[in-house]
Amino acid sequence: MQGFNLLKANIRKEYIEYKRYLPNTIAMLLTFYIIFIGMFAGIQLIGDPTMQETNIQFVIVNYIFWYLAMIVVNNIGWQITNEATQGTLEQLSMSPMGIWRIMLARLISSTIVSFLIIVVLLYLSMLTTGQWLNIDILTILPILILTLISMFGLGFIIAGLSIVLKQIQAFLQILQFILAGLTFVPLTAAPFLAYFPFVKGVDLVRAVMIDGVTWSQIRMEDFMILGFNAVFYFVIGLGFFFLCERVAMKKGLLAHY
Amino acid sequence: METIIEVQNLKKSYRKRKSKEYIHAVTDVSFKVNRGEIVGLLGPNGAGKTTTIKMICGLLIPDSGTITINGINNQEKRLKALRHISAVLEGNRNLYWRLTVRENLEYFAGNRGASKKEVTRQVDELLEKFRLQEKASELVNRLSRGMQQKLAIAVAMLADSDVILLDEPTLGLDVETSYEVRDLLRSIATDYNRTIIISSHDMDVIQDICERTVIINGGKIVTDDRVENLLRLFEVRAYTITLGEQLSDKQQKLLNLMFPEAEYKADTIQSTVEVDLEKSEAIYDLFDIFKQEETPVESIDRKSINFEQIFMKIVKGEMDDARVQSS
Repeated sequence: MQGFNLLKANIRKEYIEYKRYLPNTIAMLLTFYIIFIGMFAGIQLIGDPTMQETNIQFVIVNYIFWYLAMIVVNNIGWQITNEATQGTLEQLSMSPMGIWRIMLARLISSTIVSFLIIVVLLYLSMLTTGQWLNIDILTILPILILTLISMFGLGFIIAGLSIVLKQIQAFLQILQFILAGLTFVPLTAAPFLAYFPFVKGVDLVRAVMIDGVTWSQIRMEDFMILGFNAVFYFVIGLGFFFLCERVAMKKGLLAHY
Repeated sequence: METIIEVQNLKKSYRKRKSKEYIHAVTDVSFKVNRGEIVGLLGPNGAGKTTTIKMICGLLIPDSGTITINGINNQEKRLKALRHISAVLEGNRNLYWRLTVRENLEYFAGNRGASKKEVTRQVDELLEKFRLQEKASELVNRLSRGMQQKLAIAVAMLADSDVILLDEPTLGLDVETSYEVRDLLRSIATDYNRTIIISSHDMDVIQDICERTVIINGGKIVTDDRVENLLRLFEVRAYTITLGEQLSDKQQKLLNLMFPEAEYKADTIQSTVEVDLEKSEAIYDLFDIFKQEETPVESIDRKSINFEQIFMKIVKGEMDDARVQSS
């Protein structure tokens, strides 16, 4: 119950910040909407007409996952850097819930809020363009959840690094492109990437949305890789975060001011 | 009295990144704090106060030594120990400036896992106690520094913990707000039976609200005593002697020679000598100087000494001399 209250507090904070800076939020929503529409229109103009529908879905799925990866992985790094500079990170570290639970609540809440925004804008874009993607929620949802768990692991690694390293901003900027690479490169081009965080998940979602693959058609082996990645990266991420937290507490790095 | 915090043989060093040399921030700190006490942690800049406070808060891991909070070792069971402690470390910087007063309180309470009902009850009670109701919907960045400081203390109160640590709670506050914060801290200690540890440079605050003071210098405790005992201890050594006449040049030279820190003031009616005697026998030497020219002594008064002067003397290493003299 305490964990649920913690999650609620963080979702509320996220919501308040979106509401408080309404012009920013509107600008972000508009940008998103324009990018979606642009992707639909752009691919219609420059893409291969015979592959038009496939291309649209491919790019949109990749873009959504890239955005989610940035929210989960990159944002947590920025947030920690800002909080360490402001002085609030120390206050959060004194919660008996433990800073890792607060960070997990942050990761989940920002994912939920961003995901809701993405879904609404995606449907709005489909309504505007009249092109409807194959969204099989029941098949996509479990894949998405397992994929997000591995992303959270990566988020914890970045959160840990952000606590220990003061100059992480430059790395976070480069990370955006690494994340783009991981989401946009198809697994057929680099099969070894299946064991990288969230790449297998993106590939499976693409299979569902583009090829119309259903739950029963997904191979057990694919699910096992997905499950393994989720557990492996989450455990590694959390372990690394604990290690960084300990280093920070040894060296007095919880405040960067 | 029940001990709520026990700090034993605490040591902490930092390694400089460039020169690789070690800075010994805390070399050997041990003290106990009883339940309900208000204790002042004093020391010059770089003495090791903040390092000690952060180690008690579980934000820094000591190199050696133990800290027990309500009987719980804060290194072995950190999160459990944190249930008994809260802190205001950087005052207004511990707050989210883009959230309102109420939103800050609600967020920090939620982060401790409190339910909505509990959060509402706690927040309403604290807003009333800290007289922040009218500012509840105000963004923190629009509040005065005093209000922000009060809110930071209110956030620490959310934890409902036995101990509250405050690092420089009155720093940058105007006189009126400083007094308001002092009253607030006193009432927290008495009304809620909380133990308060204050680290401050403001000696007035320490003298005003602390029952006991622990003075740290160079990473070590140089004194741990009740404020009134320290005041008494140093008061007996300081005298103001009023003379019926001015001292002659010869007497003044002798005074300067034998009591270099004595302060001599003269006017047409009378003159005064303010002197701090490290040894009681020294008063005879002083009277010998007056006797040379038969200068009449009108009165001898113990000079009132404030806590700031005492602090300076202790930091300069005069504590042992004072104890010897007193005994």
